[in-house]
Amino acid sequence: MPETLRLLAEGFAGAMTWPHLAWAFAGVTLGTAVGVLPGIGPALTVALLLPVTFSLDPVSAFIMFGGIYYGAMYGGSTTSILINSPGETASIITAIDGHMMARKGRASAALTTAAVGSFVAGTLATLGLTFFAPLLASVALSFGPAEYFSLTLVAFTTVAVLLGASLARGLFSLFLGLGLGLVGIDQLTGTARFSFGIPQLLDGIDVMILVIGLFAVGETLHQAWRHGQDEGDMVALREFSWMSRDDWRRSWRPWLRGTAIGFPLGVLPCGGSVIPTVVSYMVERRLSKRPEEFGQGAIEGVAGPEAANNASAAGVLVPLLTLGLPSSATAAVLLTAFQQYGLQPGPLLFSTRPDLVWTLIASLYIGNAMLLVLNLPLAPLWARVMLVPRSLLFGSILVLASVGAYSLNRSLLDVAILYTVGAIGWGMRRLDIPLVPAVLGLILGPLAEQQFRRAVAISEGDYAVFLARPISAALLIAAAAVFVLPLWLRRPRGAVAP
Amino acid sequence: MALRLILGIALAVLVVHTATAQPGPDHLRLIAPAAPGGGWDQTARVMQAVLQGAGLVRTSSVENIPGAAGTIGLARFVSAERGNGDVLMLSGLIMLGAVVTHQSPVTLREVTPIARLLGEYEVVVVPAASSIRSLADLVDVFRARPESVSWGGGSAGGTDQILAGLFADAVGVSPSRVNYIAFSGGGESLSAILGGQVTVGVNGLAELAPHIEAGSVRPLAISSAERLPGLDVPTFQEQGVDVEIENWRSVVAPPGVSAAERERLDRVVEAMVRSPQWQDALVRYRWNDRYLAGTAFARFAAAEEARVEGILARLGTGAGARGEAAAPLGRYPLFVLLGLAVSALWSARGMMRAQRPPAETPVSTEVVTGRRGAVALVVLAAAIDVLLLERAGFIVASAALFWITARAFDATRPVRDAAFALGISVACYVVFVRWLDLSLPAGMLAGWL
Repeated sequence: MPETLRLLAEGFAGAMTWPHLAWAFAGVTLGTAVGVLPGIGPALTVALLLPVTFSLDPVSAFIMFGGIYYGAMYGGSTTSILINSPGETASIITAIDGHMMARKGRASAALTTAAVGSFVAGTLATLGLTFFAPLLASVALSFGPAEYFSLTLVAFTTVAVLLGASLARGLFSLFLGLGLGLVGIDQLTGTARFSFGIPQLLDGIDVMILVIGLFAVGETLHQAWRHGQDEGDMVALREFSWMSRDDWRRSWRPWLRGTAIGFPLGVLPCGGSVIPTVVSYMVERRLSKRPEEFGQGAIEGVAGPEAANNASAAGVLVPLLTLGLPSSATAAVLLTAFQQYGLQPGPLLFSTRPDLVWTLIASLYIGNAMLLVLNLPLAPLWARVMLVPRSLLFGSILVLASVGAYSLNRSLLDVAILYTVGAIGWGMRRLDIPLVPAVLGLILGPLAEQQFRRAVAISEGDYAVFLARPISAALLIAAAAVFVLPLWLRRPRGAVAP
Repeated sequence: MALRLILGIALAVLVVHTATAQPGPDHLRLIAPAAPGGGWDQTARVMQAVLQGAGLVRTSSVENIPGAAGTIGLARFVSAERGNGDVLMLSGLIMLGAVVTHQSPVTLREVTPIARLLGEYEVVVVPAASSIRSLADLVDVFRARPESVSWGGGSAGGTDQILAGLFADAVGVSPSRVNYIAFSGGGESLSAILGGQVTVGVNGLAELAPHIEAGSVRPLAISSAERLPGLDVPTFQEQGVDVEIENWRSVVAPPGVSAAERERLDRVVEAMVRSPQWQDALVRYRWNDRYLAGTAFARFAAAEEARVEGILARLGTGAGARGEAAAPLGRYPLFVLLGLAVSALWSARGMMRAQRPPAETPVSTEVVTGRRGAVALVVLAAAIDVLLLERAGFIVASAALFWITARAFDATRPVRDAAFALGISVACYVVFVRWLDLSLPAGMLAGWL
């Protein structure tokens, strides 16, 4: 441990010079700016900005990577909160309560708790990365398809708190997402399913399209429908208060719990950064004394998930740095960047190039702090977006949504699907069908199916494998407990109440 | 282009590009027919760095067109880039396989071959703790009960699975009995191998080399014809198993480029592979230099195509997995469809019974018609956007989308809204196309932009 501290100090010594700090700031700014654009997720953001670092020396380049990476992960929450249009999957959950807060005039508070939560989570998770990376990586390797399947089941149980007022409609939304997840090539056999001979459908329906369509386009239609009816909702907008004392008191525990949930789930590659955010949301709602506020603008519902998604971003770096395993698309792009400098992340990296590794880790701390410095003063400015006339705001949202959908695959079909999904999203709003279960279904359905079939293929058709492996069995019991315990302890509250 | 972005922020320190003897086009676009993070994307981004670093082109950009193992990018390349002399697409063995697997209507015969660039060998490994100590052990276990050996590798129909099939064939087991577990992406399959979740792992040498050096996996055989210098791994051939395969990557130009343009692309690629920067990159990424240009490359590609088609047919994967009509619906899709139907009926019944609570819509009917109009306007805007986006171009389509949508919310200020519509569309175009190198259709304004 003292050895680690010494190396970390050396890393900081390498990183803390004025030019390096300037690069860190440039990285954070660019990462956030590009990450805010809908449809440009963290992986593409990092890939697009890599050439910027080509002409830099390795230390400066790594410092900028750190900034770009965390900046890109952060960018999406802003649009979620302000205009109910998540820029990437990790901030879908933030949209639920964050946008309700914004509509009640508390956009600044929501943005601030997101920024501070991201900082707290990012810093704590980076500490975890600094001290426990090799240990965590070896635990992650003990997860095989059976364990991952059981983990997806645990993630499925979180849907229970997102079902909304009616169990039937919530399940309908979930099955809609699962159904959309069937489209495309079956990963295990290479056979096409439900693609109707359209080549663009072979890779399935992109989660981003579903998210932007259901939320941004659906919201536009919904607002057009209700326009002139609920101006009253928007009265408090003139107030740009930061977080109140009460907000701080309600936020700090969710930040810590979000970190504790997000970091380990980032280390385990399972459905990307959306799973930690839903799990955090579920936990906050279950623990809250005021569960009825969730969905109506509970600050815990922003603080927890935002902390969770940044902590998972740091978790992704654990298998990448220690084993050279890219467990997300973003990590794969970072891996390319490492190799650009002749570095092969993996078991030998820490001993061959400790200087660069530790500089990178130090720059993650710096990038995180920069992000806070950048975003805190911006929160009240961003909040003014809520004052833009509706006509201009929704015009811009539709334009950005169509750019985002088109630039994913450069396919006109994607734009058409976007608007169709938008119309469905509006219909779902009208009929009071919750949106989030559909997104979770699309993300988790294919994962669960693949891992299940992999596990069964490896065990040569023996279904008992899920109970025979201890970690898998424990996860299955946890999943069952999430369902059974609340029913047992008191009358259903979380699932059926609003 | 992204360079320009950073220049605006910090007018400093950047390397001055030497514009002397620049053989290539001013701006060379590289198309990676895959998402960021994969092999093609990686190769394209290395090419971008080398081309710019060696001063062979002034600027270069990478565009990702992911989908169906590269065949979506291929179809798009052939139709949208026809005759363009300033663009190259990454291609290779995997695309040949994917054309067969996904029955792509567009094949690699339609593009202009430029050159093969590099190759990567495949390695078969077992976890360090495995009881299988050598290839001979694996052959024994595999022959005794083929299904008991699970093979972890990349996506179905790819090089990893082809290798597993070739191995089965070579040791006299039917390739259809290979218990192949397809993982999406190298990282996922590698962690299954390292964690001992599968019996055997197949992966590229570059991904496995650090783990072989660290001793966390035990290599059984490499797919090269002869042993590689500096790597103590025996080949299949020397252990009596007749398997040899190399995963190669190449660049191709669109169909219909002029002879002069083709020659210019040939020259720039040749200058690239001769540059010290490229040679460095080959070492760094553990790629084999497999530069082969012109008609020799075209002949090689044709031979490989025949070979891949033959292998895939014998394996019963890919082309063997045939169209969706032939594949019976699995239990899972049936479960999902059933669940969808049941929950839809259940919800519908609930809603009928509730008969729409009157308290929820307290507004008079006049307003209802008015709002219907607003929704219709937004729908119209979306329809116009889809119609115009590729025909009239992004700026025209988006300006129309914006303006009509704005009408749905506030019809009183058409001129102001038109100004915003145009401003925001142009700003988006500039940010995405000029700064971020993500192409949007220019359409009728192509000449001006």
